[in-house]
Amino acid sequence: MSDTHIVGKRVPAANANEIVTGQARYCPDIDLPGMLFGKLLYSPYARARVIRLDVSKARKIPGVAAIITHADIPGENSYLYAAADQPLLVIDEVRYQGEALAAVAAVDEHTADIALAAIEVEYEQLPGIFDPVEAMHPDADQIVPGEKNVLSSHSFSTGDVEAAIATADVVIQNKYQTQCAEHAFLETEGGVGLVEDDGRITVYSSCQAPHRDRMQIARALAMPESMVRVITPSIGGAFGAKDEAHVQIHAALLAHATGQPVRLIRGRRESILTHVKRHPFIVEYTTAATSDGKLVAVKARAIADAGPYTNATQEVLHKFGEFVGGPYKIVNLEVELIGVRTNNPITGAFRGFGAPQAAFVYESQMDDLARKLGMDPLQIRLLNGVETGTKTYTGVLIREGSAMKASLRKAAEMIAWQKRHSCERQPAPHLRRGFGIATTIKGSGAGRGIADHASAALEMHRDGSVILHSAAADMGQGIVTVMTQIAAERLGIDLASITVTNADTSRSPDAGPTCASRQTMVSGNAVLKAANTIRDSLLTMAARKTKTEKHRLDLKVGHLTIDGKPHELSVKDLALRASNWGIPLHSESLVHFEYPEDAPMATYRFAQEVFQFGTQIAQVLVDCETGQVTVERLIAVHDAGKMINPGGVYGQIEGGIAQGIGYALTEELIVEAGLTQNPSLENYIVPLSLDIPEIEIEVLEIPEPFGAPLGAKGIAESPLVPTAPAIRNAICDAINKPLYRLPMTAERILSIGDD
Amino acid sequence: MFDLEIEVNGKQEQVSVEADTTLLYLLRDKLGLTGSKDGCRSGDCGACVVLLDGKTVNACMVLAPQANGASVMTVEGLAKDGELHPLQRCFSESWAFQCGFCTGGMLMSCYALLKSNSNPTRDEIRAAIAGNFCRCTGYQALVTAVEQAAAELRANNV
Repeated sequence: MSDTHIVGKRVPAANANEIVTGQARYCPDIDLPGMLFGKLLYSPYARARVIRLDVSKARKIPGVAAIITHADIPGENSYLYAAADQPLLVIDEVRYQGEALAAVAAVDEHTADIALAAIEVEYEQLPGIFDPVEAMHPDADQIVPGEKNVLSSHSFSTGDVEAAIATADVVIQNKYQTQCAEHAFLETEGGVGLVEDDGRITVYSSCQAPHRDRMQIARALAMPESMVRVITPSIGGAFGAKDEAHVQIHAALLAHATGQPVRLIRGRRESILTHVKRHPFIVEYTTAATSDGKLVAVKARAIADAGPYTNATQEVLHKFGEFVGGPYKIVNLEVELIGVRTNNPITGAFRGFGAPQAAFVYESQMDDLARKLGMDPLQIRLLNGVETGTKTYTGVLIREGSAMKASLRKAAEMIAWQKRHSCERQPAPHLRRGFGIATTIKGSGAGRGIADHASAALEMHRDGSVILHSAAADMGQGIVTVMTQIAAERLGIDLASITVTNADTSRSPDAGPTCASRQTMVSGNAVLKAANTIRDSLLTMAARKTKTEKHRLDLKVGHLTIDGKPHELSVKDLALRASNWGIPLHSESLVHFEYPEDAPMATYRFAQEVFQFGTQIAQVLVDCETGQVTVERLIAVHDAGKMINPGGVYGQIEGGIAQGIGYALTEELIVEAGLTQNPSLENYIVPLSLDIPEIEIEVLEIPEPFGAPLGAKGIAESPLVPTAPAIRNAICDAINKPLYRLPMTAERILSIGDD
Repeated sequence: MFDLEIEVNGKQEQVSVEADTTLLYLLRDKLGLTGSKDGCRSGDCGACVVLLDGKTVNACMVLAPQANGASVMTVEGLAKDGELHPLQRCFSESWAFQCGFCTGGMLMSCYALLKSNSNPTRDEIRAAIAGNFCRCTGYQALVTAVEQAAAELRANNV
């Protein structure tokens, strides 16, 4: 595939024109005749019994079309992700601040607000449980009646950890804490529901998983899924939190109740209070090594705060455990993973699924180990790093792992690692400069053994134009652009000849959720397969017409080529001939995430087998008087397999690092006794343009050998993973003190003090 | 109700609004110009930045009656006769956005910058968009896009 004509090119995003002209339509931009405005009533308390919920007065307010409570839900009153333990509307007890009790539809937003204020709720506040360790106690009050507070408890071990630790030369043992973090996608959650003439329900949903949304809406309405249609309009970011359903179900319920279109958009405060957050973790971690720096054992115990409901807690913990040892050769490893219910905010998927928490811990440990042994942080990582052919502690054979050490070496070269300390280390009495490195591993796909498939449909018309149907949600990361480029490449046409429809469950079978860095591989392969079928029909016809063997033919830039030379027959000519002869140029594919038949099954259940490696080096300046950290330089080397679109890949890397800088230094949802103290973009501190340095990026294009479309693999999550530990190691290098808690705010750095 | 006259993207509009209507609501819901986005309603995100008499404002922080008699320019007013402004084209070519929700406000902040500074440094560009929150990118591609657009505009003016 070296001579591609569109794949590998930095073409603009498929929807770029609509975006720069302000014409792209997101949920809040949808305006339909007779449309009502939906709002939800949210609990101000973290835990309270609902003694009385009276909507009768509110219902009488002119302009209020409907108010629904749990009693008005025709079907199941629950979300359904991994479990069905979270109600759509509270029945008798609220379990976290911001849980919804009622849904209003009114003629305008103002009237909906008045109606919310007129709903009478009598609460009896209950003592909440906010400390996961306290919630784990056998005598602790049950947060969800009939359900254990420990909602998930798993362990995995390989080798003989205790023996390895007992005989090791060095043992490093630390306790880490990571924070509750907010996605802060710019477009808050939203949905627009409407009832079609034939009684079907259509929902425009700002989501990552349209088919899972459809299932959840259907079960809430007690309707067959065939009567529910979910469409994704443009989506203003998601980063995991829109993988789990939010208000699109309520929009559907209100539309169903009123017979009118209903638009329901969360305000910023409600958004921050209510959607799933990144899990705070408490981790006890032991690293054992020989005196020459070889890792011999890792032992970890992680407790994740789930909030009251399950959501993606098990999956996040599972991925944390999968990557808990990092990209290192470890024979003896033991990990215990515990998810606990509390009355804190609900937590779930957020870019990286547990991998960022794990990386902060294992990469901090590596630096502490290097320091204790007097070794170079780069060398100790090279010494222990995995390679192609390494069998990991999860029992996976790494089919392509050369990027692990290549990324370390390249990053080190870019910053002249060995000479790093020749710069001014103390440019002023109160300023200290430091350098930190972190190298990480993240997988693509749901994991082997979990359903992981996608469909795509392509149709070429008689004029050579093509329509592509896919239900893969694009939240900005660029899967639609990727699919368009793959289709254009294989069909030998230009991008302008391809039209892509929005993800629409009535047009396309399931492409699965857009998560786990999977769509480039799974939906990419689905498009590749469908395009190859049409291509084959075109080439069969061309072979007949030109009386040439098929293997000498190709389609390039609109034309047939024979032995690489352009022929007068265009792809359009071939499309017209096919149409005249009744040869179908339509193909719908279904592909599964592929694994080689002879690959051994992993010992870690549902382990991923395609990996993205990446190394980042941070140079920081710490103000020891204020605790302020300035990231002066950030070097990032990542592998993405073959890049389908460098614009998209670099964008993912820059954006992931920006989020990683926030995760490292400033972002923390401050929750006191279950109540969020900073539910605004003013007080939840995300990095802005002046907080991020010019990031120096190098992409290693090492094609993935198996199951990757044209060698491409996912890149969405991995760039965020090394940033926080790289910055942590740089701060520690500067101030010569270790840090074990995220975020590393000025206050926390000051409280440690300089030496 | 408050009757007001306002010029939006060169077009004279007469509208009646409640006195507490924001300029953002006026643009989006009364005039159907949804390129300015509602990201926070508190002036923190910049997704609704428009030009009010040539100056950048967060439209969510301006009451519509305050814009009576004023001239407003939104992202919809950037392209002329179907031809993209160099900023718009450079934003596309440089991947200056991903989800695009910040883009309308971002473009207007950058447009205002280039009106007052035809050759900004990367730091000056970063300062000009310091009130525009983007969660998808690292701002870097965006800064490059503005540099390129500025160079193009300078070349065209010679």
